[in-house]
Amino acid sequence: MPGEIWVFAEQQEGKVKKIALELLSAGALFAEKTGQPLGALLLGSELKGATESLIPFADKLYIWDDPELAVYSSDTYLPAMAALVRERGPSVLLGGATSTGKDLFPRLAAHLRTGYAPDCTALTIEDDGSLVATRPLFGGKVFSEVTFSDDRPQMALVRSNTFSVDPNPKRSAEVFSVPFVSESARAKKKVLAREKAPDERVDISEAEIVVAAGRGIKAPENFRIIEELAAVLKASVGTTRATVDEGWRELKDQIGKSGKNISAKLYMAFGISGAIHHVLGIGTCKTVVAVDSDPNALIFNYADYGIVGDLFQIVPALTEELKKTLTDK
Amino acid sequence: MALDFTFTEEQEFFRQTIRDTVNRLIMPRVAELDEKEEFPWDLWKEFAALGYLGLRHEEKYGGMNTDTITQMIFYEELARGSCGFAMSVTMQILMGTYFIARFGNEEIKQRILVPAIRGEKIGTICFTEDQSGSDLGGTRTLATKVDGGWRINGRKQWITNGPIADFATVMATVDPKLGLKGLNFFLVERKTEKRDGFVSGQRLHKLGSRCSVTGELVLDNVFVPEENFLGEEIGKGVQYAGEILNEVRVMTAMNALAIAKGAMDDAKGYAQNRIAFGNPISKYQLIREKFAKYWAWYEAAWNYAYKCAWMIQNRLPCTNECMMAKYFATEMCMYAVEEAMRIYGGNAFCTEYPPQRYWRDAKFLLYGGGTHEVLCDYLGRVFLKD
Amino acid sequence: MEIYVLVKQVPDPEAIVKVKGETELEIENKYFTNFFDEIAIEAGLKVREKFGGKLTALSVDNRRADALRRAIAMGADEAVQITDPALEGSDPFGIARALAAFLQGKPFDLILAGRQAMDDDAGTVGLAVAEALGIPHVHGILSLEVDPTERVVRVAREIEGGKEILASPLPALLTCQKGLSVPRIPQVMNVMKAMKAQIKKVDLASLGIDPTEVGPQGAKVRVRRYFPPPRRAAVRMIKEDFPENVKTLVRLLREEAKVI
Repeated sequence: MPGEIWVFAEQQEGKVKKIALELLSAGALFAEKTGQPLGALLLGSELKGATESLIPFADKLYIWDDPELAVYSSDTYLPAMAALVRERGPSVLLGGATSTGKDLFPRLAAHLRTGYAPDCTALTIEDDGSLVATRPLFGGKVFSEVTFSDDRPQMALVRSNTFSVDPNPKRSAEVFSVPFVSESARAKKKVLAREKAPDERVDISEAEIVVAAGRGIKAPENFRIIEELAAVLKASVGTTRATVDEGWRELKDQIGKSGKNISAKLYMAFGISGAIHHVLGIGTCKTVVAVDSDPNALIFNYADYGIVGDLFQIVPALTEELKKTLTDK
Repeated sequence: MALDFTFTEEQEFFRQTIRDTVNRLIMPRVAELDEKEEFPWDLWKEFAALGYLGLRHEEKYGGMNTDTITQMIFYEELARGSCGFAMSVTMQILMGTYFIARFGNEEIKQRILVPAIRGEKIGTICFTEDQSGSDLGGTRTLATKVDGGWRINGRKQWITNGPIADFATVMATVDPKLGLKGLNFFLVERKTEKRDGFVSGQRLHKLGSRCSVTGELVLDNVFVPEENFLGEEIGKGVQYAGEILNEVRVMTAMNALAIAKGAMDDAKGYAQNRIAFGNPISKYQLIREKFAKYWAWYEAAWNYAYKCAWMIQNRLPCTNECMMAKYFATEMCMYAVEEAMRIYGGNAFCTEYPPQRYWRDAKFLLYGGGTHEVLCDYLGRVFLKD
Repeated sequence: MEIYVLVKQVPDPEAIVKVKGETELEIENKYFTNFFDEIAIEAGLKVREKFGGKLTALSVDNRRADALRRAIAMGADEAVQITDPALEGSDPFGIARALAAFLQGKPFDLILAGRQAMDDDAGTVGLAVAEALGIPHVHGILSLEVDPTERVVRVAREIEGGKEILASPLPALLTCQKGLSVPRIPQVMNVMKAMKAQIKKVDLASLGIDPTEVGPQGAKVRVRRYFPPPRRAAVRMIKEDFPENVKTLVRLLREEAKVI
């Protein structure tokens, strides 16, 4: 079959993002099923380390290495990728549902006049190479299965942790250095600065484990016990709208409608009643644990495991128990 | 075209806007407003700044003169938030300022009506006394003609906004022996150093609508100038009151509808989630019956109330109809708030849960605009006349 | 400044949405202006208040104009509704094509939109419009500063691990994220004005768009079926007393769920 399966290998500061490896791992299965080669697209500057990490994951590695690409901008990434797409005619182009992906893919798809499925929670490919994407609508109240027109490539953004990273990738990519041609005539945006958030943790939308507390935490300083639990689990800390509205936590950590959707392997909710706006944001988490003092709390309807109890008692004990368990493997 | 039971797109848009405004400004504070039993000045100011207090008044005084149906939509949506706040707002928009706008001279309108529409001066209306509520003929507050004006003596009870009112429309009699034909309206302001007026008497602590402050107003030989007589002729007070009674009753029906819906929407959520004997209680017939009956009665009450609003708007005679709209909506509301309490079971008794607040707020509906016993006596009499 | 805001009427977030047939949804009849679009309207109003000019709300809708009336109620100067039966069943690119066709050739300085619509959660129309018009865009802005003389905007957008500050030349299209502004509650005077407003209606013919470019024919993706969110198995309540329940939980997470 003509065409290639491509994955946009997003990198940050020279390191390839985990979502890209997840998609390449899934892409490998798609490639095998349809008999197409698997390609990865890497754009940036000083990409030696990134390149090496990608070689086992793909058949072809297309690299644009230029200082002007060091920081992502649709003004540079889009024309570069579009040109190669038109040259090579891939059948599928996947990316992670990250801030970059969401900024780039819709515009690129419009530019290429091709189909695009945002924020997918599942993805399969038919024998004939047609992509089938599953994505939530209405904030997660309903899911849809989406198919694509004949236009190529079929583009999709996929959520973190939808696929797992192949622990033993066995490919050996052929590296193609693509010359980057700067379109200086075009009016462009300029990135002036990047402000790092004070805490270095992974964004909740990408984290594998998220622990969260809601109104039940009673006071902002009590988040300390949640942070300690998060440290042991190497988790990110999320929260609900209630605490963000109070000013105790930041919007970037809010889970649910008007906040973020998370698709963690493990989600633990402490003192969260389970209002619909929140639970729709956790629907795709694999394992959900809820702890609340109210036996009738709605959160228990959306959890796999539940404990009715006092979070101020349970969380520190959980932290201790995990410290013991996780150290003696 | 006859029998069009739909609102226009514009009216639906208006309703959505008020609902969103209430959701944002009032809903987050409903429990707090009930608990504190204090007039929410900050909320009042925010609300006034949006311009809603001018809903019924002419543009030249800062209002925007909307039609009756639009006003009723407003009252219904407002009452879904805090019943107490709604009481104070509707008093300001309707009863408290109507007679000022209708009969006050230009100077009075500039001094009283304009700031009232801006929310800077708070108004109210005074009917009720110690021994007379529905029985207006029992009014004992006396207005005596004197040189240049009137002297008024009496005590008025159950005055919404009373403790904070700057001005009031007071119903007083020129001669108790004249009964209803002796009644008149007077504008009385709060007593200051420069001007005679009423003073606050006792503050009332109410079962519900608690953030609307209610109390006694005392008129101790208060002098008011001639222009404060609100009317064209002496003795027409009851007739003038009749001009707004229809609106007041339909407005009360709107309050009842809003409280009933609030209580049962909340009870619905509870019933769907509360598990007893392995099922949510919403699966049991006796619970379902409560909702079914409420739903049917609510629909009937809602449609009838808006029909009455339509009749008022089209200047059709509808005194009996408006009484019935208020009566029916209120009785439906009594059923709804009672059943909501029952659906909650033991939890209803706990003040953390909403049903008790709806139940408490609803009770005054039985009295506002005439007690049901009085209304029924009247309506029965009318019905049986021929 | 000539400002346009793209708005959409969506089901109220509280509306019940059910899967009726494989390809049919039952949506409760409660609609409201898309939350992020209100933020965009507010941001636009603030720019107009500061620098003067005109704010026009623009929407593609075959049924309702409420979102446009909402914009007027908040203070927009004008509202335009693009409506045509051929637009029914369009995908976001089709909608964007219609919007871009209207905007093409107009002297706009700034176009604002919400970062995504709360029905399809696609986050696509704004960016597709920017592409069609050939102007720069920034997606999901958290702050906005405008310099009309230099014809530049300075914005912040959220990225993983922090924020990015960018400058963009005008004209540009910016999609707005929560936190950029708090949408004002409309004054009743403006609500009345909005109720009575004449909304200008525009169809595809007047935009010069071929019906095959929009609607289901022009759609690049199609929904094959809808299904309700996967239900979890019933919760396993850990009933032991403290501290045994904590030990049991850790054991279950380790051995049964295998997530730690």
